[in-house]
Amino acid sequence: MNRRDFLKGLVSTSYVVLSGASVLAPLNALAASGAKSKDGWLTTGSHFGAFKMKRKNGVIDQVKPFDLDKYPTDMINGIKGLVYNPSRVRYPMVRLDFLLKGHKSDTTQRGDFRFVRVTWDKALHLLKDSLDEVQSKYGPSGLHAGQTGWRATGQLHSSTSHMQRAIGMHGNFVKKVGDYSTGAGQTILPYILGSTEVYAQGTSWPLILEESNTIILWSNDPYKNLQVGWNAETHESFAYLAQLKEKVKQGKIRVISIDPVVTKTQKYLGCEQLYVNPQTDVALMLGIAHEMVTKKLHDEKFIEGYSLGFDRFLPYLMGESDGVAKTPEWASEITGVSPEIIRDLAKVMTKGRTQMMMGWCIQRQQHGEQPYWMAAVLATMIGQIGLPGGGISYGHHYSSIGVPSSGAAAPGAFPRNLDEDQKPLFDSNDFKGASSTIPVARWIDAIMEPGKTIDANGSKVTYPDIKMMVFSGNNPWNHHQDRNKMKQAFQKLECVVTIDMNWTATCRFSDIVLPACTTFERNDIDVYGSYANRGILAMQKMVEPLFESLSDFEIFTRFAAVMGKEKEYTRGMTEKDWLIKLYDDCKAANAGKFDMPDFESFWKEGYVHFGEGKPWTRHAAFRDDPEINPLGTPSGLIEIFSRKIAQFGYDDCPGHPTWMEKLERSHGGPGSEKFPVWMQSCHPDKRLHSQMCESKEYRETYTVQGREPVYLSPVDAKKRGIKDGDIVRVFNERGQLLAGAVVSDSFPQGVIRIHEGAWYGPVGEDGSKEGGAEIGALCSYGDPNTLTQDIGTSKLAQACSAYTCLVEFEKYQGKVPEVSSFNGPVETQI
Amino acid sequence: MNREPVTDSAINQARGMVYQLLSSLFAKEVDHQLLHELTSEQAQGFWAQLASESAFKADVDTLVSVLSELKSDKALLELAADYCGLFLVGTKHSASPYASLYLEDAEGGSTDEPTLFGEQHQLMLQFLKQSQLQVQSSFPEPADHLAVILAYAAHLCNTADEAAQLEFIESYLNNWVGNFAAKVTQCDSGQFYSALTRLTQSWIQAEVTGLRAEQ
Amino acid sequence: MKWFINIWRTLNKPAKFLTLGTVSLSAFLMGIIFWGGFNTALEMTNTEEFCISCHSMESKPYQELQETVHWSNHSGVRATCPDCHVPHNWSRKIGRKIEASHDMWGWLLQTVNTSEKFEAKRLEMASREWKRFDRDNSLACKNCHNYDSMKWDSMSKLAQKQMKRAAELDQSCIDCHKGIAHKLPDMGTSRAPELIAQVGSGESAPQAEQTYFTALTKPLFYNDKTDVEAGTLNIATKVKVLESKGNRVKIGIDGWRKKIGAGRVIYYDFGLNILSAQLTKDAALEEGVIETFEEKEDPMTGLKWQRVEAQIWTDKDYLVTDLQPLWDYARDTYTTSCSVCHTQPDEAHFDANTWPGMFQGMIAFVNMDQDTQALVQKYLQEHSSTFDKSAH
Repeated sequence: MNRRDFLKGLVSTSYVVLSGASVLAPLNALAASGAKSKDGWLTTGSHFGAFKMKRKNGVIDQVKPFDLDKYPTDMINGIKGLVYNPSRVRYPMVRLDFLLKGHKSDTTQRGDFRFVRVTWDKALHLLKDSLDEVQSKYGPSGLHAGQTGWRATGQLHSSTSHMQRAIGMHGNFVKKVGDYSTGAGQTILPYILGSTEVYAQGTSWPLILEESNTIILWSNDPYKNLQVGWNAETHESFAYLAQLKEKVKQGKIRVISIDPVVTKTQKYLGCEQLYVNPQTDVALMLGIAHEMVTKKLHDEKFIEGYSLGFDRFLPYLMGESDGVAKTPEWASEITGVSPEIIRDLAKVMTKGRTQMMMGWCIQRQQHGEQPYWMAAVLATMIGQIGLPGGGISYGHHYSSIGVPSSGAAAPGAFPRNLDEDQKPLFDSNDFKGASSTIPVARWIDAIMEPGKTIDANGSKVTYPDIKMMVFSGNNPWNHHQDRNKMKQAFQKLECVVTIDMNWTATCRFSDIVLPACTTFERNDIDVYGSYANRGILAMQKMVEPLFESLSDFEIFTRFAAVMGKEKEYTRGMTEKDWLIKLYDDCKAANAGKFDMPDFESFWKEGYVHFGEGKPWTRHAAFRDDPEINPLGTPSGLIEIFSRKIAQFGYDDCPGHPTWMEKLERSHGGPGSEKFPVWMQSCHPDKRLHSQMCESKEYRETYTVQGREPVYLSPVDAKKRGIKDGDIVRVFNERGQLLAGAVVSDSFPQGVIRIHEGAWYGPVGEDGSKEGGAEIGALCSYGDPNTLTQDIGTSKLAQACSAYTCLVEFEKYQGKVPEVSSFNGPVETQI
Repeated sequence: MNREPVTDSAINQARGMVYQLLSSLFAKEVDHQLLHELTSEQAQGFWAQLASESAFKADVDTLVSVLSELKSDKALLELAADYCGLFLVGTKHSASPYASLYLEDAEGGSTDEPTLFGEQHQLMLQFLKQSQLQVQSSFPEPADHLAVILAYAAHLCNTADEAAQLEFIESYLNNWVGNFAAKVTQCDSGQFYSALTRLTQSWIQAEVTGLRAEQ
Repeated sequence: MKWFINIWRTLNKPAKFLTLGTVSLSAFLMGIIFWGGFNTALEMTNTEEFCISCHSMESKPYQELQETVHWSNHSGVRATCPDCHVPHNWSRKIGRKIEASHDMWGWLLQTVNTSEKFEAKRLEMASREWKRFDRDNSLACKNCHNYDSMKWDSMSKLAQKQMKRAAELDQSCIDCHKGIAHKLPDMGTSRAPELIAQVGSGESAPQAEQTYFTALTKPLFYNDKTDVEAGTLNIATKVKVLESKGNRVKIGIDGWRKKIGAGRVIYYDFGLNILSAQLTKDAALEEGVIETFEEKEDPMTGLKWQRVEAQIWTDKDYLVTDLQPLWDYARDTYTTSCSVCHTQPDEAHFDANTWPGMFQGMIAFVNMDQDTQALVQKYLQEHSSTFDKSAH
């Protein structure tokens, strides 16, 4: 047909164009003038650092470090990718089968399914209906809204506070105690040293640099981990690490890194390494202690004056109670460290001033309480606790701990709890005999075995029958162990709701997914410098929320409106009102101590700087006068033997530090005949947990064939015919994953590393696109928690034990699947 | 039926209407109102006329047949799920309708996925601004979304000369819609959107051929 | 310079007949009468222009006022200096004028003529104003802000709660609303102002044989006169007043102590590390201070404990009859401050001896002054699973 005739025919059908509006509209004057968002530099911050951003044509154009951050990390180069990556959750969405069948939907589809877009109004009503259903049918024990995590920075929009306040206004729910990072440590140390220690300010670096002769970095990699912080990080610690490097070079301070691998810190400082077999640190510590006692190197006076129970520990150490003397020879067998080195270490540690700095990894293993306890005993025997540059710390690798605190008050936050006189819509507190609070890492067990009673920290916990989970700014499909077990558990849930900015695996395993905007699409306020509290940062909105995403404040204000509680929720204040209130309250708290300008001037300037604090020594007051300044332990003293723990009667956590064999241990330990390789899944170098993994361009600076790197030793690589850059399948009886081989001398035989935080991207067992929801699926990107064990550390802490994990690996020969982690839900064709 | 002589402007209006219709179908899911309009008697005539061109027939037939089967809420939701899986989530395993994703592919031959709101988005914003237009605030998508480009083509049909129309269609539609259609056909779990995309591709090809011939 | 030294000498001479105040009063009054008539003077000195004619007033308080809601607001009502600082009642007004004539000396002697000097005196000057507001029951505020005309519904629930309580007592506004028109002085020395605003600063005359609770951590003394401290009495501790002398009371503290060191620390009960008081070494050994009773071994630590009663002196302020307002304040603070980073555990989640370790290990990010920290820790301990068996 002739084109013109055809078109004439079209005209003649005179079809009237659809009533729906065009996606285009006349340019309005406001947008034309660009008044809404002027281009230029603005200030903001993140866990990765405070920084400045340039806005151009309404989008983020450039990022550069904050003026006061002298050691910025290159992770800020990933910020743009966090905002503009294709994994953004763009609209409120509901899993189709859930939309059709509600709480009776086919839950085996989770993780591999069809979603539909809904309006915000519809989504929030669905959320309310689901909560109504669970509260009226099961009561508060049916709802778990207490799994919370690292969120994004900002005190006003803290995603967990908003979610818990709003959901709390609807009804009560199951909560968690503890966290994945330090679960064993924060539970055991209050009994031993009288505080969690892991989250306490530590002796200031200037004092350590001045006074220490020896620094022991025990399983500790501060140069890697100090890159990120709980608040907007400004990296002051790195100036001290640089000074330490200088002192190491000059031979003024001896730094020994006790670790199976050569850490980033060791390489930076140019310090010594003492290799130890994975998971055997307690044996090494016992060997050292035995040598100290034998050679009378320990400080008996300090032990006598400041601790309790050494006499009850000694028979175990010397072998009188169990017939096994914990000699250097005994320790050598287990740890792979020679008796001579152990003897020498005992001498080195007791000569001059020794600062022990413990990392967190060794408490994320079965019996993870023990290495922390035994390290405290060693420090007590050395007798320098409370002296500058001596004693022990458990946090010098975290959030600027060790940088002197300014002492200024930080801004408060939007309230997490209900106001005093507010009552939830469903006010029942009847948990039907189950516990309302469960140890953080045991929630999957609870879903699997509701009603089961376990021991935890001296009491009994009965698992609630959880039917619904609500997550916000939190990705348990990263940080929890054993994906295949999680899949089984999730099939038992009636409803899963996730609020996030990008399609994390947690979103993919949800029924209702709500889009939150990123930190850079809203105004907020934060402290910068984390524990150092160096100042207050204006977090200025860079761009309007993308797609239909909303700020956490807006999402839950709307949800509160659905409940008829909008004014109760916001206390009648707008976002701007809150921002000013948080600032003004902080200003009032600092009045007379730290000068803060009015809000407008602060916002214009972008920050208020508090300056540097005074150096301080941990436990110095206790050392000075233990009677007036007792520790927070039952006795007020260091408890080498804890009667309190002993009377719990736990076989896996007795009354004094004890070496116990693990369920799985490499280098000749149990299970190593079948799966000979220990996998460490430590905190990543280029992310904050799973945050920033989705930032594509930045991710590609470290991936191997698009996969998460698996670091392995040249010996292991050769044995398996693997070359650097190959795709490797890592597996055990719990699961399997693909990762990209990085062959490195830094890793000893029998040890591999895959950083946690690698996004889970399940595909069919044979590498095909379909089958990701199935048990046994292959992770196409390399999430190490596909392989880890979901067991408690002990009956005491019941904490995460990701480090007790053996695997095997091989060069991957099968069909190489596309990485499925970063593209939202993958739909299976039926 | 109108018996008056058909003017050029009426023809351009009709072309614009086709672009506008395609834009609307990519902009959002088919809801009850849209379904009603697409299956009305008037629309039947329109579809029939469209199907009279052999290049369009198969796909128009598919569209009409799918539409005629959308008898329940559930059926509409299933179609909405197809839409969502293709256009609202991710890129690799779906077929996000952003020009930037397919242009880069075509040029560099790389499989890299550029970030959203990139260069193509800025380019389209420039075009819109020149024409005193902007993307509706109720459509919070990057400006290189297919629905925006098609709507802009509709606008050009009624406001620009044919040379300008041809230039735009060649440079901003014809060079990537083929890749896009292939991806949609590969990923679509139903038939509607693959047919719609193929129809769009054929329409644009016909347009390019026709407009070239008239130069 | 000589004239200055002379004045200085004059001022420093002990006044034989006239106090400094009356000298200045007469000089001032004579001055203004000479100037053009008393009433005119009174009017004139009641204007903002007069107040800020002195440089130190203009540069500091006046500038600061301009940044506050009392200067600029939607209703367009502005408070000028005399509205707040000169009583509206005639006799009080004259009294205030006489007081204010002191300021002439300040001006003459250049007491606050630089920013540093002003800041150094700020607290003193503010305290004088606060006292005056207290004496007037904040009458100057109440000329515009009336409890009876407050619209409760438009206040937040929290504000309602605070304001209603204040209204019932016709509380002086300045008790809570300090630093709203000018910069708040360095309150380094004033402790836990919000807490005190809520629980009050105690009975004016504590009665013998009555029991009270401490509203702040307080110093202990050997007797009713000495400044030598004998230790500290922890916040929210129950004491019995035994006798009262001047500004001091003798109190009795019952409790238990560990038999380690000098036995200086008195705890709430046997085996519980809930702090009541700490004595200095000397005080603990001083005859008549501590009376001792039975001993018991704590099975949890193996330490010997001994029941004690201490009798010792403290200032009579900050002793309140009711413990509940302290706990209310502590609970509010706990739920607000300890939920900034994570969900705060239930009070009964830990026992009394575990709480100090948990609390101390989490406090780095929490903004609480020493008194409030001690109060919250004690609140948690006394509401822990040790006392509340309903947990779990």
